[in-house]
Amino acid sequence: MKYIKYITVILTVGVFASCSDFLSPAPSSSITSGNYYTTAEELETGLIGAYAAVKGINDYDKDNNHGVQYEFYVTEMRSDNTSTKSPDSEDASDAGQLESFSVLPTNSFVLNYYSSYFQIIYRANVILENLGVVTDTNKAAALEGEAKFLRAYAYFNLVRLFGDLPLINRVISPAETDIQYTRVSSSVIYDLIVADLDNAVSGLDPDITGFATYKTRASKAAAQALLAKVHLTIGTPDSYTKAQLLCESIINSQKFSLKDDFHDVFYTELNSEIIFAIGYENGIQNNSQLFSSEWMNAVGRTSGVNYATSDVIAAIDANGGQRVADSYREDPISTGTIRYQVAKYFPNGENGGIDGKTFTGLPRLAGNDWIILRYADVLLMHTEAIMAGASETSASTAVASFKLVRDRAGLNTPNSIKKTDLLLERRVEFAFENQRFFDLVRFGEAESVLRAFSLANDFTFDSTDLLLPIPQNEINLSKGAMNQNPGYN
Amino acid sequence: MKNNNIIKRIAKFSSSAVALMACFLLASCDPTIDSLKFDLPEANSKEDLNPPIANFAATETADYLTYTFSNTSSSATDYTWNYGDGSSSVGKDGSNTFPAEGTYTVSLTAIDKLGKTSTFTSDIVVVKPIIPPSIIPDILNGDFSDGQDNWKFSSFSGGTTSPYNTSGDGSWLNYDGSDNGSKTAGAKWTQSTSAGVYTSSKTRYAYQAILITPNTPYILEYEYAIKTEAEQDGVAAGGNRIIGEILNGQFSDGADAIASSTAGPLAQDVGLKTLGKTTFTKVTKLFTSNATGAVSILIYGVTDVDAYVDNVKVYPAN
Repeated sequence: MKYIKYITVILTVGVFASCSDFLSPAPSSSITSGNYYTTAEELETGLIGAYAAVKGINDYDKDNNHGVQYEFYVTEMRSDNTSTKSPDSEDASDAGQLESFSVLPTNSFVLNYYSSYFQIIYRANVILENLGVVTDTNKAAALEGEAKFLRAYAYFNLVRLFGDLPLINRVISPAETDIQYTRVSSSVIYDLIVADLDNAVSGLDPDITGFATYKTRASKAAAQALLAKVHLTIGTPDSYTKAQLLCESIINSQKFSLKDDFHDVFYTELNSEIIFAIGYENGIQNNSQLFSSEWMNAVGRTSGVNYATSDVIAAIDANGGQRVADSYREDPISTGTIRYQVAKYFPNGENGGIDGKTFTGLPRLAGNDWIILRYADVLLMHTEAIMAGASETSASTAVASFKLVRDRAGLNTPNSIKKTDLLLERRVEFAFENQRFFDLVRFGEAESVLRAFSLANDFTFDSTDLLLPIPQNEINLSKGAMNQNPGYN
Repeated sequence: MKNNNIIKRIAKFSSSAVALMACFLLASCDPTIDSLKFDLPEANSKEDLNPPIANFAATETADYLTYTFSNTSSSATDYTWNYGDGSSSVGKDGSNTFPAEGTYTVSLTAIDKLGKTSTFTSDIVVVKPIIPPSIIPDILNGDFSDGQDNWKFSSFSGGTTSPYNTSGDGSWLNYDGSDNGSKTAGAKWTQSTSAGVYTSSKTRYAYQAILITPNTPYILEYEYAIKTEAEQDGVAAGGNRIIGEILNGQFSDGADAIASSTAGPLAQDVGLKTLGKTTFTKVTKLFTSNATGAVSILIYGVTDVDAYVDNVKVYPAN
């Protein structure tokens, strides 16, 4: 009986305890995207996480998503602008495959870009799924606009690189394999992109929402500029008109201007010309980028990718004007054959000194922002929209926009602009900014230009090389449900 | 003896071997024996489960007669292109310059190494791209013979929709440029209907929306006359003048049009020639239409004395 009081105490405690949530606890492991977000502030941190997916991880692990840091592999290196330090048609490495148009479905950079950009789409969908926790309607519209901008940005790049894609417009569960592995027509993807960006343009209007805008985050102008490019890519008479009006809206807002000195565009962060950039901070592993060092010789780990081709050097020399010095330079330590490096993104502005690899800071932890949209792009898109697929335009408005970009480079402007002039101007102005491949495709010149380039460099180019293969990983996971792009089987 | 026996056997064996070989030789010379024909073995052989599927996409190039053909066939190794105009090629991707406009049946035959073939055909319609002529807008009541018709705003917040005073002191020229031999009808502005320093709720604006070809050079043309100092006293600040503008857009409320005018029209002409009543000066103002081609004409006066406008036209510059 001497234990009876203990037993009573235990029972009493037990009874009291059972009145609490003791028997139905919320396991800490069950905090999911579905129940984590309870306030607008929390949702905004989630949105920053979606930008981090674009930013990517600064390390060399192939399993980590490197986001936009690896974009040059699947865009610029697949154009006539860049290659590895020593281009070689027999080079079967992942980078070598991309420069020589002999990409295999197992290419790790292709897989990395594919997963990185679907990660952006996933994170944007999580934000959109949880908008219900935001009570302020303006805040909700702004968060929705930013998330939809990011989703559209990711899809726009993916659809141009891979063609038809799975349509993931909400958070899906791993069991929904039919959605994950069913490729829908690219026109359906474009419908989503246009709808998302229309929504972003209206939702991100600072005059309505009253919120400050940031150049490292989506803004109304960023959404307009991206939407203009989407419309130019769609390329119908109606979409050309829409693109022109969007460009004119940005131009007439007078919020952006060209930097007088081309150098400042790249080495003054978030300058007046920048519309949307991915922000990096130097010296911080989780917040810096590696591409600046990769493009130099023995500074990054690969020592020599995204080197300027002699083809682009010739184009820049002939048409660059005052842009030449800030576009490329001769590799200071390449022995034998002369090689050329990109000069737009030297790590933290340090060019590595005489030997090209001496730095005061940490070049592999570079802080240079990655520019996605800048004002010169809007001006040249304006000219392109007015040209509207024709081979030439002499419309004064088209010439005026073109002239602003030419004037900055110290070059004359003709009274009438040919499509080939515009494509060349874009090539030189945006060299090494991951625009060339998309420009070639949009202008309908990709086949002829890349075929001639391949012939001159002993590469093999087929028209089916304009689309990347769906990563073999995805094909395998789909258990045969996903079909490969033509030319890769 | 034993040896002898062996030799005999060998002889026997070799003779039958010779016979057998002869049979083989005969058989091998006889193509009618199917089973001996060269073929893949039947046992464990698989049929071609991935036969070629031919497909291609055609793209018109900058030269409308030349097309490139992107080969999107699968499971094939060799290709034959037939362009329907007598020319052909065997590369993976195709390209052809057609001799003239017309419809051509292009076929691609894709073959794999097992000899299986697949053919895809598609009709290519080669037509010279038409450059549509610039729209010549129909200016309604451009000669002001129908009073104030077609020149009014449908509403005007804080202003009047009355566009001008009708007048019989218009140009001596008809709308088609021929000499009328006498004055025609015109539009008239006075100090009380003026804009500029005299802007009030009574200021009158002639407004007409027009639709023209986007991004194309056009000319706005009209005639104006302003009374001389001898005819009527007074000079408005900045000079007695008639202003003609092309606005970037179309407006149902006059106040929005004036706001657009203030922000900047596509073109503006300020006519300051004071040559006297019925002595008209022709204005031809070049402008480039906007993205949509939906623009509007706005004409008004800033004048102490009577001023007149007639024969308003808009037409392509080329």
